[in-house]
Amino acid sequence: MKTSHLSIATVAALAIGAAVAFGLSSGTLLSLLTQATHYAIFALGVGLLLRQNGMVSFGHALYFGSSGYIIAILLQLKAVPAEAAVGIAVLGLTAFAFVIGLVIVRVPGVAFGMLTLAIGQMAFLTASRSRGLTGGADGMNVDWPSTLFGVPTELLLKPAGMLILSWSVLVLVLLGLGVLLRGRFGSVTEATRDNEERARFIGIRTLLPRAAVYALSGGITSLAGVLAALNTGFISPEGLHWSLSGVALMMVVVGGTRVLWGPALGAAVYFLAKDVLGDHAQHWMAIFGTALIVVIVFAPEGLSGALCRLLRTPRRQPPAPAAGNPSARVAH
Amino acid sequence: MFIHLFNGLVYGALLIIMCSGLALIYGLRRVVNFAHGSLYMLGAYIGYTVMLKTNFWVALAVAPAVMALFGVLLDRYGFRLLQNRDPLTVVLVTFGLLLVLEDFVVAVWGKTNLSVSTPAALAFSVDMFGHAVPAYRIAVIFVGAAVALGLTAWLRLSRAGLFVRSASTDPVTTAMQGVNTDRLSAFVVGLGCALAGLAGVVAAPFLSLSPSMSSDVIIDSFVVVVVGGLGSLAGAFIAAMVLGMVQALGTVWLPGSSVLLPFLLMIAVLIWKPAGFAGSRT
Amino acid sequence: MTDYVLQTEDVAIHYGGVKAVDGVAMTLERGQIRGLIGPNGAGKSTVIDAITGRRRLTRGKVMLGGADVSALGVVERRSRGLSRSFQRTSVFGQMPVRKQVELASYKMGTPDSHADADEVLRELSLDHLGDTVANDLGYGEQRRLDLAIALVGHPTVLLLDEPMAGLSVKESLSLAQHLKALTARRKVSVLLVEHDMDVVFGISDVVTVFELGRVIAAGSPAEVRANPRVREAYLGSAA
Repeated sequence: MKTSHLSIATVAALAIGAAVAFGLSSGTLLSLLTQATHYAIFALGVGLLLRQNGMVSFGHALYFGSSGYIIAILLQLKAVPAEAAVGIAVLGLTAFAFVIGLVIVRVPGVAFGMLTLAIGQMAFLTASRSRGLTGGADGMNVDWPSTLFGVPTELLLKPAGMLILSWSVLVLVLLGLGVLLRGRFGSVTEATRDNEERARFIGIRTLLPRAAVYALSGGITSLAGVLAALNTGFISPEGLHWSLSGVALMMVVVGGTRVLWGPALGAAVYFLAKDVLGDHAQHWMAIFGTALIVVIVFAPEGLSGALCRLLRTPRRQPPAPAAGNPSARVAH
Repeated sequence: MFIHLFNGLVYGALLIIMCSGLALIYGLRRVVNFAHGSLYMLGAYIGYTVMLKTNFWVALAVAPAVMALFGVLLDRYGFRLLQNRDPLTVVLVTFGLLLVLEDFVVAVWGKTNLSVSTPAALAFSVDMFGHAVPAYRIAVIFVGAAVALGLTAWLRLSRAGLFVRSASTDPVTTAMQGVNTDRLSAFVVGLGCALAGLAGVVAAPFLSLSPSMSSDVIIDSFVVVVVGGLGSLAGAFIAAMVLGMVQALGTVWLPGSSVLLPFLLMIAVLIWKPAGFAGSRT
Repeated sequence: MTDYVLQTEDVAIHYGGVKAVDGVAMTLERGQIRGLIGPNGAGKSTVIDAITGRRRLTRGKVMLGGADVSALGVVERRSRGLSRSFQRTSVFGQMPVRKQVELASYKMGTPDSHADADEVLRELSLDHLGDTVANDLGYGEQRRLDLAIALVGHPTVLLLDEPMAGLSVKESLSLAQHLKALTARRKVSVLLVEHDMDVVFGISDVVTVFELGRVIAAGSPAEVRANPRVREAYLGSAA
């Protein structure tokens, strides 16, 4: 998208968000949409890692839950003002992600995924067992103050307010990523993803860009965690569990990563389905596990991939069979 | 101190049983079975149910057998059909399977912890270095050693083992030589799942059964397999023992944060050797 | 004493009991095209790997523009003007053609990477495929893309590892002509590993012959052709 188009699209999207927020009167519906938005941001983080690095994280809930915990603990200790707590959580987790990224992105293929699962679960176990610090399995409250960044908190917590805030964050994250990835950082990471060896042979130092993408993906997910913690005022180990990582991954797979907004689409579909399932949602883990399997086997490009193919004009000639190297970097 | 080291050995033995299954499946099918911990858990729960009606020894035979059957079906209708797809696809399928199995276990057996008693034949203590050591745990170590030695011997000395080793290195050529690689895969995956189930039954008397069993062990088994080098059986054995010992020492010296030790071990090894100890037999 | 853009001194690469390369001394002058021929397994690709830093040297030195680069990595050597193409096509599968070529040019520090990329693409007849994703290209087109990535950025030394592999006779000769023109125009010195004798003797200024990891002859194409040892080992009487 051209820059001028991008700005118009952003403004339009923000306006639509505001319109929906004030237009809808049903608190439940607004709340549902808000939650969907949080998951959309979460999924965007996971999707970014897959799209730019060709890597799959099975433990991104680490960043989602940890940001809530960091804020909750800092607020409980009354150590810093809430605004600083938010900053520390998001930036701190991004920095942390970068540091461990430097180590783990070097691990090839699926082993990387295994590590992310292990790390994520370790966070879950730590939170579940540290009764003193985190309230253990029961979780803890997040004591938000009466104003946040100058805005009265109770205004933000109104269904409409929460939706506008969350939606705006989503739109701005998409905008930010779109701009960032159009530039050199995007090309460099894509080249590294497609062919790491050749990337070095054209002069790219491949470790730093990949670690940076991992860090960014963690940061985006932690942002979603902040919003969720604000919305519910509560954080528990469930926010760190692999089933949550699995749900996010499912959204990414269902939505597809061909375009930047694919994972967000996946989140929307997930919530729609969950709403439709209603009472059966008791076994949602099994249902979504099955959905993941079905989509990955029969529709690997996801919904956004299918949509894009539908909207694109058909080629004049079929693409010639390409010999040479495998495409995605995700070797075993 | 001795007790902790001993328990480290016991846990290491358990990991050997479990992780050898994971390594075998990877070696032959190039699939990292994310559901392996869930299979371990399922094996334990099936064992529990069988034990309610009969006894431990029957469960020890039945649960792995059921898991072996499951493994054969998984290979035939899962891995085989997806073998030409991106390796990641299959991994995501196993992850989906993990979610389904977790839910299944809770649906059938509930969320509360269940316990299984030690079989009568082994419910005594042996005096070792002045400590009363449960005989059952000594048996576990023996089982772990038996699995390690048995698998190594089987791979090196038997015909089937030879086929497995060659199929792991080069499936196409092996198939061209007339080895029925599909049947071999089904066998190996079945064996791998059986091992996971066996580990579950073996663990049941001394670890309580809960839906979080799989997550407790999956971290460690992944660390073992990555640190040992993906696909290397010997590497997995060594790493399993190392991890068992590290955990044991951790409970002595750093009781609160011992759960983080596998993580730290893994990071330490990966900084030094990104492909793990033994490297992968690619 | 001529200033060599590239020089190897007693380079040896041993691994696992195999002496893939055993004491190779070669030079390359500015603007020269040196052909490297020899039977399969003679060590030609391994020498290329050694020069680019893809393989570690067991012994010896590699010098670029008079400076010893033996301890430097792949990325550092690239920044000193060294570039290579690959025997097994190595491109960026999901990226469009122009984008990846321009990226390669940019990473070399070219002031106008877009113009540079466009020129190379034109010269290799890939400019009409600029927006096509690499995976959608045909075999020959992908090989030319591999070359394009190596050619941009005005490298000083270019190592080409069997660029004609898999191409038809007509395609090979055409590509050879384009390469000769492009490298002459951009003053690139070339080390060319090739099996196609017509191509090698057609465009090379000098030729080095390998056998079992050692140099058995070097000189002008005519000299090498006439060399009885080379004929016996490699060319046969048909040369």
